Formats: sequence, structure tokens, C-alpha cells
Amino acid sequence: MKLYANHRKNNKKKKKKKKFTQVHVVYQISMAAGFKTAEPLEYHRSFLKENCRPDGRELGEFRITTLNIGSISTAHGSALVKIGNTTVICGIKGELASPPNDAPNNGYIVPNVDLPPLCSSKFRPGAPGEQAQAASQFMADIIESSEIILKEDLCIEKGKLCWVLYCDMMCLDYDGNLLDACVIALLAALKNVQLPEVSINKDTDLAEVNTDKKRRLNIAKHPTASSFVVFDDSIVIVDPTAEEESLSTAMMTVVTDEEDRLCMLHKPGGTSLSGEKLQDCISRAVTRNREISKLINTVIQSVKTHK
Amino acid sequence: MRETPLSNCERQFLLKGIEEKKRLDGRQTYDYRNIKIAFGTDYGCCIVDLGKTRVLAQVSCELVAPKENRPTEGILFLSLELSPMASPSFEPGRQSELLVKLNRLLERCLRNSKCIDTESLCVVSGEKVWQVRVDVHVLNHDGNLMDAASIAAIAGLSHFRRPDVGIQGDQVTVYSPEERDPVPLSIYHMPICVSFSFYLQGTYLLVDPCEREERVMDGLLVIAMNKHREICSIQSSGGIMLLKEQVLRCSKIASVKVSEITDLISKALENDRRARKEGGRCGFAESMPVERITVLKSDGAQIEMSDAEVGSEAVTMATESQSAEPLSEVGRVPSPVVRAPGAVQVGECLQNAWGLGEEEDEDDEEEEERLEMQEDNQRPMKSKSEVVVISDSEEEEVVILHPKKTQVKDSKPETKPEAPSKKKKKKKQPLH
Amino acid sequence: MKSRLLGSTMEVDGQSTLSLREFGCEQNLLSRPDGSASFVQGDTSVLAGVYGPAEVKVSKEIYDRATLEVVIQPKVGLAGVKERAREQCVRETCEAALLSTLHPRSSLSLVLQVVHDDGSLLSCSLNAACMALMDAGLPMGCLFCGVTCAIDPDGLIITDPTAQQEKNSRAVMTFAIDSAQRRVMMSSTKGSFSVNELQQCIAVSQRASEKIFQFYRDSVRRRYSKTL
Repeated sequence: MKLYANHRKNNKKKKKKKKFTQVHVVYQISMAAGFKTAEPLEYHRSFLKENCRPDGRELGEFRITTLNIGSISTAHGSALVKIGNTTVICGIKGELASPPNDAPNNGYIVPNVDLPPLCSSKFRPGAPGEQAQAASQFMADIIESSEIILKEDLCIEKGKLCWVLYCDMMCLDYDGNLLDACVIALLAALKNVQLPEVSINKDTDLAEVNTDKKRRLNIAKHPTASSFVVFDDSIVIVDPTAEEESLSTAMMTVVTDEEDRLCMLHKPGGTSLSGEKLQDCISRAVTRNREISKLINTVIQSVKTHK
Repeated sequence: MRETPLSNCERQFLLKGIEEKKRLDGRQTYDYRNIKIAFGTDYGCCIVDLGKTRVLAQVSCELVAPKENRPTEGILFLSLELSPMASPSFEPGRQSELLVKLNRLLERCLRNSKCIDTESLCVVSGEKVWQVRVDVHVLNHDGNLMDAASIAAIAGLSHFRRPDVGIQGDQVTVYSPEERDPVPLSIYHMPICVSFSFYLQGTYLLVDPCEREERVMDGLLVIAMNKHREICSIQSSGGIMLLKEQVLRCSKIASVKVSEITDLISKALENDRRARKEGGRCGFAESMPVERITVLKSDGAQIEMSDAEVGSEAVTMATESQSAEPLSEVGRVPSPVVRAPGAVQVGECLQNAWGLGEEEDEDDEEEEERLEMQEDNQRPMKSKSEVVVISDSEEEEVVILHPKKTQVKDSKPETKPEAPSKKKKKKKQPLH
Repeated sequence: MKSRLLGSTMEVDGQSTLSLREFGCEQNLLSRPDGSASFVQGDTSVLAGVYGPAEVKVSKEIYDRATLEVVIQPKVGLAGVKERAREQCVRETCEAALLSTLHPRSSLSLVLQVVHDDGSLLSCSLNAACMALMDAGLPMGCLFCGVTCAIDPDGLIITDPTAQQEKNSRAVMTFAIDSAQRRVMMSSTKGSFSVNELQQCIAVSQRASEKIFQFYRDSVRRRYSKTL
């Protein structure tokens, strides 16, 4: 429970403490710029020993998360998410297609995560690299596992016409914790989607699009992800930066929905964790889910009230 | 990884041996290595061992639209893959010369010889036909990949069964194996490749060369033939000149080898059919040799959970009591702050570079506050000097792009002549 | 909460679902790779080959440890995004187990060929990978094994499910367990489930891992004994 020891301290104290750590950090950085470059791992360890991190956060603390919806006017739905410096934009475009043969009353959701060279020097132009492919698969798995949208809702006419939602997530700035940002961006963008009404004309057998009437999607579940990294086989920290990711010995992402059920426990390998440690992470993920639900609701509310 | 080069001594040793009619593994000139054919539990799955060379073939099928010039014919698609497992020099996804050559040979051996009845694969003429796909994976490369691949492919095709289809009107139903028995493909004949390697300008010849022998050979002749002694394809490579008599002699040897191999395939198919009929065990698990020290099998194991339950319970109970505290924090979930309509922020630690909403965090950064005031007063001050120079036209452009801004922040005037910072200003805009 | 938990474990006990299918392994069956193994669980079968430590491409060289590459070859068609995700899981698990710092600036490559998929494919791949690494004689800090658990619509846990059972279940989880502390090295899940179910599945997997580690031990003993 090291993770939350400080997290649970009461609010007022915390504010004070934060200021103190920030001053402390400034002092350390000026002293230790060389130390950081030469021995990055030792540098991080010296902070973790004191239960804080180089950027002044506590071990169980997320960076500031900012969410903007409706960022792309040409898409049917969009959202821009910033967790610290990590920025992900998600645009959703609906297209009409014929339903899959084996499930005639389903539609499709096609997620794709793009990591262009502009977001970090570690990505090369050209075909998507392993991380981008793994992230795309991760998003597809979440959509499948959490049943974020019932695929039946995307069907317009059984066996004839359905919606394909192309959900493109692009990372604009990579500073760790890509998956969390992608999940928030996807969920917010899906909530932002407005699709025109489509009907099939009985006489001509052609699809007719009524752009005046718009409908929103029915979001069945609200999954959110929380990523953790393990330092030195034992210390678990939440919401890692790119540097922390590269120095860590294991990464893990927990996805929960609003009923506190788990949709995904994705740990692609690395050092092992005990059941108790996992449980700590899950508890943190549950709290995070509340934060993000509130965030998304507030942003939607704010758009409504200003219209 | 690069292939380990063959030393000159080794090369000379091998050639000397061939001259004396001696081979590394003690075989005679015309001998094949042991061939083992095993079928998987899936239809159309077959592993062929040719000595130490091992090849896996899997046949599958799907309904596709036929080719335009052949509307009533099904499609046979062959794909041979050199898995990096087979040799350190094989790279995944690379189109090497060897790969292209093997694929071309396999196509000529199977597709161009019309060994399967493609017309029976037609479901609806011009609309739907079966595409039969043969995936051949080379798992271990110890020479003579072509022969092993052709045996695996044809054995796989003969073993394969496609789902039955029914046509009612224009509706095509594909029946699952439970509903209707799957149908085998109709095989006209079984072409099999036999490889001959030549040494010292064609003076010496070996059947079924192993990897070492392939590395010192001068040329290769591959003859694809069926048991009716019909040649389906013949190819010589490596740039050696062969006499007519040599080719004829090779084709005679090939006819003997082909009939032997065909019998072996038929026997293997028959064994598999019998095993399936009797409901006995089939598949690779059964073909694993038991009498080796490198092999171990274990019967299904029961897992006793008596005390493990207590363990898992302890974890959940313990964490439940622990999680009581974090969960009670739910009320403490920080409320998001609306920075602008459509842009909301949560988290209470750092400032992020977006810099939205300095209005709210007035007590936090004095500097920010100062900037804020400057902006509110529309008085660009010294901060301008540290800012990228902005031309007026650009300013107006920004304003035009975001006409809603004025509605939102009604305290601000319609147009701003100048702003303290371009960066800052842009961030102030609601992102609509 | 407690009664529900006890209730479900009772059910689990009542049914004899907590069993592993028969499994087997053949090591050193390919002549070219430095280590190879084929692992069979029921009808699911995966073949693994390991090359290395060997020369590494300059672009992939890591100065303080060996570069591990994992390739998973599907049986039909070309490797897609799904295989990439699996490769990542297997690679990072192997990296954690291997003492790759002992072979800096060199390459290790692990190739997995799916021979037959009848459920629990990822766990079978992990087991095959571990056996192949052992056969190659690479130094490892600990061994690992994969266990797949499925939760059927009635809330029963099925270990080592077949493809049909996986299809019918509402959640499937695969864990890699290490041999030193029996902790979770890798986790990959599908479907939604409660925290309790997760902890139970982890406990079950830890139990099942003991059987597999015993099997590893037996197979090594058999290999280095002179009698069959």
C-alpha cells in the first residue's frame, strides 16, 4: 500500500506538501541535471525512495488530464485528450457498408492508433511499428470486451446496410501512457458522435441520408484505462511519463467500467507482480474511472450549456 | 543471421565422398531419406518429415468471386513460406530468391498440372466459387525442400474436406461440419517432385540431397511426375548442361520414387481415415514418439484447489478491507474544472503546457496571473518582447477563425488589437 | 460478498472443471535451431525454435544485453495485428525471465509456429517458448509457464479451455506465472469480469502452474537420466 500512503492524506495538507515538493524538486533538478543524464535510473530511484517523482507527483497521482470534445469539425465525433504532455486526438468517421456475412445485424467499429514520427523521435515514418499495432489491437480488444457500443445499434437494415465507425486515434505528443489517453479519447469521441439518419427507400432500394436529423450513439459501457509501471521489481507508479516507461521493468494497464468490473488486465510481460499488488492497482483504476466519468460528463455538460 | 559458411575442407571432403559413392548419412546414391507423413486433427493439415527436413502444410478454403475470364472455376492458391525457424538465414517476410523459386515450382507442379478439379469448386457461376488455399511452412531446412513441400501440399489437399453448401434460389448456405459431412476435393492425380543434384559438371548424381550436399552441388534437376508416369513439370537450374540420356535416366528413377511415395501417402491417408472412423485418437499429439528421452507426456492433471481457495479469498478479503479506504475516497474524486466550453481538466498536480484557464488558478502562479491581467486589460506590455512577433493580419485571422470566442467570454471586446502572447492567445480559444 | 464467493467456489469444486488437458512436450526435435520444442495441450499444439546468442544487426544492437526477437507464424495466411500483440506478450515475458545481460550485443530469436489451435493458444505458446529456451541452454533467472482460464456464463472457472469452451465463455484470461515466486508475469484478458473472479483465476492459475513446473522438472530429469 505504499502507493497510496500519501495519496490518502487529507486535502489541505496535501496542497502544502505539494508546494514543498515542488521547491524541493527545483533545487534537485538544478543540482542534478548531470546526474539525471548520466544515471537516469539512479536519479529516478532517489525520488522514488522519498515517495515522489521527478515531476513532483506522488506515486499514485495522475498528471493533469485535459479533455476537449468536438475538436475536428469535419468528423462525426472527435475528442482531444492531454495527459500531462501526452496528447491524443481521436476522430470518428461513420461510413455505410453492408453488414458482415456471419452477423447480418451487426455493424463495425474499426479502431486504429497512429504513432507518427512527429509525436516522438522514437517512431519512424512508414508502416506502423510494433507499438502502434499493439495499441490498435488493445483498443479493438477493449471495444470487444467492454461492449462499449452494442454492435447491433450500428445496423440500419438487417443484412443490407450498417454503419462502420472508423475510430482513428493519432498521438500528437508522446510522453508515456499512450493507452490511457487513447481510451479517454475514444470514449469521449464516441459520446460526441452525431450520425445523420439513414433509411432505405423501399422503391429504389437505395439508402437515403437525412442530414437534418442527427442521432447520438448509445454508449453502453464507460471503460477507462489506468496504466502502471513497475520500478525495480517492486515499486508501482501510476501514469508513467515516457522516461519512466523506458526505465521501468514492467508495464500494466487496467481497464475498468463504471460498474467496477474489469474489462482488461493487460500486462504484456516484464517482472512479476503478486495478487496483492494487482489488487492495489485495480483499486486505483476504479477511482480513476470515477474521475474520468466526471470529466467526460462535465465536458459534455459544458458544451450543452454554452449552446 | 548469416548462414555459417562451408569451409574448403568440408567442401572437398563432401565431393570426395560423392566420387567414392559415399554419402554423409550412409545412404546409397538413389536412396531417399525416411519419409514420415502425419496428419493433424484438422482436415487438410499435414506434417511431412523428410529425414530432418520438416514441412507443415495447411489447406483452407473460403468463398470468393471467381476470376472474370474463368467464371465457372474455383481457385487454387499456393503459398510457401520460409519460416525463420527453418534456418538462421531465413528472414521473416523477405522475398528471397529461393522462396520465389520454390513458390514457382510448387505452382507449376500443382496448379498448372491441374491435379484438382477446379470446376467442382464452383458454387454459383460467375458469383461464388471456393478458393482453396494451401499454406506450406518450412519448419526445418535440411535440404530438398521442394520434394518435402510437394508431398505435404498434395497430401494436405487429399486429406482436406471443404464444408458442404446448399443453394436455395440465390441464397447460399454453408453447412457446418455438424450439419452435413464435409466433402473431399476431387483429385485427378498426385504430382510429386523428385530432385536430383549433380556434381562435377554432371558426372555424379544424387537423389534427395541433404543441406550439405545442396551446398556443394553444381546443378539441380527437379522432375514433377505422377504415378501414371506422366511428367507434370521439369526444371533444371544451376546452369549445367545435361545429356538427353541423363534426363531420361532421371525420369526413370523419378517414376520409381514417385510410385513409392504415392503408395506411402495413400497408406497414411488410409490409416488416418481408419483412426477417425473408429473414433480413435488422431492428430500430432498421437504421432509424438514416446520412446525418446526428449519426449514427455502427462495425462490431464487435476488441480486441487482446497487451500488455494483460502488463498484467493484471503487476497480478496484483505484487499477488500484495504480497498475500503481508497473506495471511500470516491467522494474525494477531484472535480473537473471547465477551462472553456468543450475543454475540461482534471488533476491537481502540474500545470500542463496547454495553459488553459489561468483565471481559475489565480493563487498558483503569480506570473501567470500577471499575464492574465495584462490580457484582460488589453494592454500588451513587456511580455511582448519574449514572444514571437505576430503581425496584425495574423491576429485578425485568429479572431475570424474563432468568432464564438466573444460569445463565450462576454467580458472581452469583439476584437483584440494585440495579445501578449500568441501561444497564450490561441489556447484561450474555445476549440470548436 | 463472502457468501457469493464461497458459493461460486463450491460450484467450482462440485464440477470437475478444474483440470488441465493432457499435455506433452518434445524437445530438440528440429536439427537447425539451437533449441526447439513442441508443446501439446489437448489438441492445441505449438512448435518453437530458438536461435542464438548470435551476431546482431547493428540497428538492433543493445549495448548491455541481448536483443530478443519473437516471431509468431499463424497456420493460415500472414501474421497480422493479433500475432503482433501476442508476440509482444511472449517477448516481454521471455525478456523478464532470460538473463540477457550475460550476452550483450548479441541476438536471440524465438520463432513460434502454430500447429493446431484448439483453445489456450497463448498459454501453449508460452510453454513451448519456455521449453525451447531451456533446450537452447540459455541462462534464465526463472522459468515461466502459461495458464488460460475461462469463465463460463454460469460463473464457473474452466482451466485450459478448448476453442469451443473459449467461444462459449464470457471471459478468457491468460496468465504467465514465474517459477520462483508464483507471481503473475503476464496477463492478457478478454471479456469483462469482477475483481473477485480475477483473483480466483489467478489463484487457480498459480495452482495449475505447479503441475506444469513439475512437468518441466520431470522432462528435464528424464532427459538427463540414462533410462527411459
